[in-house]
Amino acid sequence: MYIQKRYFLLPIALLVMVQVKAYSIGDTVTTISINAIGGLQYDIVRFKVKPGSKVKFIFNNTDDMSHNIVFTQPESRLKVVNAAMAIGNDAFKMNYIPKMKEVLWSIPVLEPGETKFITFTAPTKEGVYPYVCTYPGHGFVMYGAMYVSSKDMPSIKDDPNIPPERRKDITGDDNSSQHQVAHSYSEVPPYLYRIFIPDASPAAIAVNLPNNISYCWDAGTCHLRYAWQGGFLDNTDIWKGHYDSYGKVLGNVFFRDKTAFPLQTDKPGNIPAVQFKGYQLIKRFPEFHYTINGIEVYELIKPKEDGTGLIRTFRIPNTTRIIWFLVDAEDGVNYKSSNGKWIKGRLKLLPEEARQFTIIMTKI
Amino acid sequence: MMKFYISSLLIAVLILFSHCSVKNNKKVPDVSYLVESIEIPDGLTAETGALDFLPDGRLVACFLRGEVMFYDLKTKEWNLFAAGLHDPLGVLAISNSELLVMQRPELTRIKDTDGDGRADQYETVTDGFGVTGNYHEFNYGPIRDREGSLFIALNSASAGGGVRPEVRGRLDTLGRSAGKEMFSVVPYRGWIMKLKNDGILQPYAMGFRSPNGLGFDLEGDLFVTDNQGDWVGTSKLYHIQEGNFYGHPASLIWKKGWDKGNPFNLQVEELNNMRTKAAVLFPQDVIANSPTQPLCDATEGKFGPFAGQLFVGEMNSARIVRVMLEKVAGQLQGACIPFIDGHGLRRGNNRLAFAPDGSLWIGQAAHGWGGETGIQRVVFTGKQPMDVYSMNLTANGFDLTFTQSVNVASALNPDNYQFQNYYYEYHKKYGSKQMDKKSIPVKKIKISPDHKRVSLELDILQTGYVYQLNLGNIKSQIGDTLANRTVCYTLNNLIEGAGAK
Repeated sequence: MYIQKRYFLLPIALLVMVQVKAYSIGDTVTTISINAIGGLQYDIVRFKVKPGSKVKFIFNNTDDMSHNIVFTQPESRLKVVNAAMAIGNDAFKMNYIPKMKEVLWSIPVLEPGETKFITFTAPTKEGVYPYVCTYPGHGFVMYGAMYVSSKDMPSIKDDPNIPPERRKDITGDDNSSQHQVAHSYSEVPPYLYRIFIPDASPAAIAVNLPNNISYCWDAGTCHLRYAWQGGFLDNTDIWKGHYDSYGKVLGNVFFRDKTAFPLQTDKPGNIPAVQFKGYQLIKRFPEFHYTINGIEVYELIKPKEDGTGLIRTFRIPNTTRIIWFLVDAEDGVNYKSSNGKWIKGRLKLLPEEARQFTIIMTKI
Repeated sequence: MMKFYISSLLIAVLILFSHCSVKNNKKVPDVSYLVESIEIPDGLTAETGALDFLPDGRLVACFLRGEVMFYDLKTKEWNLFAAGLHDPLGVLAISNSELLVMQRPELTRIKDTDGDGRADQYETVTDGFGVTGNYHEFNYGPIRDREGSLFIALNSASAGGGVRPEVRGRLDTLGRSAGKEMFSVVPYRGWIMKLKNDGILQPYAMGFRSPNGLGFDLEGDLFVTDNQGDWVGTSKLYHIQEGNFYGHPASLIWKKGWDKGNPFNLQVEELNNMRTKAAVLFPQDVIANSPTQPLCDATEGKFGPFAGQLFVGEMNSARIVRVMLEKVAGQLQGACIPFIDGHGLRRGNNRLAFAPDGSLWIGQAAHGWGGETGIQRVVFTGKQPMDVYSMNLTANGFDLTFTQSVNVASALNPDNYQFQNYYYEYHKKYGSKQMDKKSIPVKKIKISPDHKRVSLELDILQTGYVYQLNLGNIKSQIGDTLANRTVCYTLNNLIEGAGAK
């Protein structure tokens, strides 16, 4: 988003998602550019122009759905939205813009990727003039407010003229959202989410353990990807839906697997074919079940009691092969194992040793 | 185990019982259907992804923050069964302690093996499809056929999102256009898949854009909805047959033996010749803009007179749609009409399920689209509605059968039947206008001896057109007014032997 002027003159303050500047004086033109974005929203939910000023208004549809934009008389948004939904058969032809005096200016339905602009003269009467997408179903959530005024706009968090969700769009860091109630119950570690998370396949599992440790185990690749200390995840963005986003890792990553694959058979270098079979909750800790080259593997991960690392218990009950557990010297942890023999930084386990073994990973 | 004691019972959002008429000392309700809201536990964001009923009659509901919850209809108590799932958009109850849940990465069997009421075992049933991490790659189903096979649907990806640095499955960018069309760059996005008892996931039918809903009718025919957008001129209900292509090009690259390159580069005419047309079109802004799950009324009358017909959720408006199908020239086609329109229903009608008592439960979601959240149910009061029961093609027009005997004077008034016909363009553009729209005069009106069926003779019957009928104030013999007045028939085929004009 940007707001700019043809002539650099007097700046007026605008408070939106990011810092913006607008300039307006005399007979020059104020240019406003608004994007339709995912989640049935305009990227700018409010802006201010002076009464009677000339406005060039650019509307750019960056969403994957069709949208229009309609400016209405003050307090007429819902009336126009409902009138648009009542048009019936001709609605598409009319771009969902009803013919009524409450409609001031509009840009017709734009398909994804399209841009159009209009120019108009702002009303001389001060007031809050809504703009809204009247595409059916959108108008209840997709709207904003043009303040025609010489005065300041109210604080965004108390602004009744913008969508409630957007009142949190204050400039700067806002971590309050993660403290909101996420569910109808409180989450006590260990618990997990299947979720999109950075640096993993789209089939990842994020697990929050006791002792302020969390890890990402990837069901797409069947291995532990990384672990972190501190908080767990901020799912605010991803729970909004309707656009690409990640659960945000809260804390410091202290381990990252850098091997081609940590469990290998016969000799190092045999990258196995894997298949994820699921998990069993054992006292609420997930024990992952997968196969490497058809061999069943079970993996249970618990936190070290002092919170400095992870205890991984593997079961490979039916293996007749030698199992190698590979590590990378730069992966951020020290290793200890219950069974097997370390050879050049790699753990070799005879079949009987691999039936159950524990690896303790301690943060360096 | 968490328990949620809900103090109040169902809240009826619609109190239409302002008075009840008394006949033979028996109270007859004034309305046929009531919409009631189910109380949701505090803190739950009730973005409903899936609904079903357990054998013991409890509701199972999945929500998009990953919860699977059970609701006891008698005690009004909610219990958490499972958590942490990724956008669960389908559930099939296997037993009181075992479910199949469709989530983004896989179809998962979820069981409570130790009897504490909480799931402890999560088994992968199938993950034999690709995931790019694009937000629009939702997965739907499973539904089960008579042989026990499961069907799921895989949404195409949106050009409004991208492909993540790591994907699951073989990446092939041939299934993407340079433009804003939905795409399929990992197997089998845009497909309906079949999982037989052998555990192998088989591609079944292709060409879907956003197939947010699968269902069977009483005969075992499979239906899937699709949403208006690129290559989908208006939203649709498809009758699915194995191996067929239903119109959205992206998924074609995963067809066995596909050798025609990027399907978006094919001529529209070639794609058009390949595709199977929808059994029913839902005209945009008239019937539905974002249809969801089709659910067959298998209540044998407990839910009123529409047994065997399909109900379809609608996301964008406060509406449930009803579909009336018939076989013409060997193919299913038919009409759609609003069923519940407003009356306290919310928007976002994403999932439907019939409770054992025959009430229709509706789960709502928004998830960044234009819906709402929560769970409601529609209860049949026992009063016969006044509505169109069926619309059937005849050699020279349509027969309308009503649920009640009609008032003859109003039924014979030609002003009460306004027909228009139009078609939708098949093209890459997002949606289509109503093309070649015109009024179709009604030439003759006849009424059956029982006054339930009205035969309408039309001037023109054109295949490939929607016939939209706007009904006027037709009353029943006992004076009830029509509940729904706009019905749209998709005329794919004419009655065999009838001459096309």
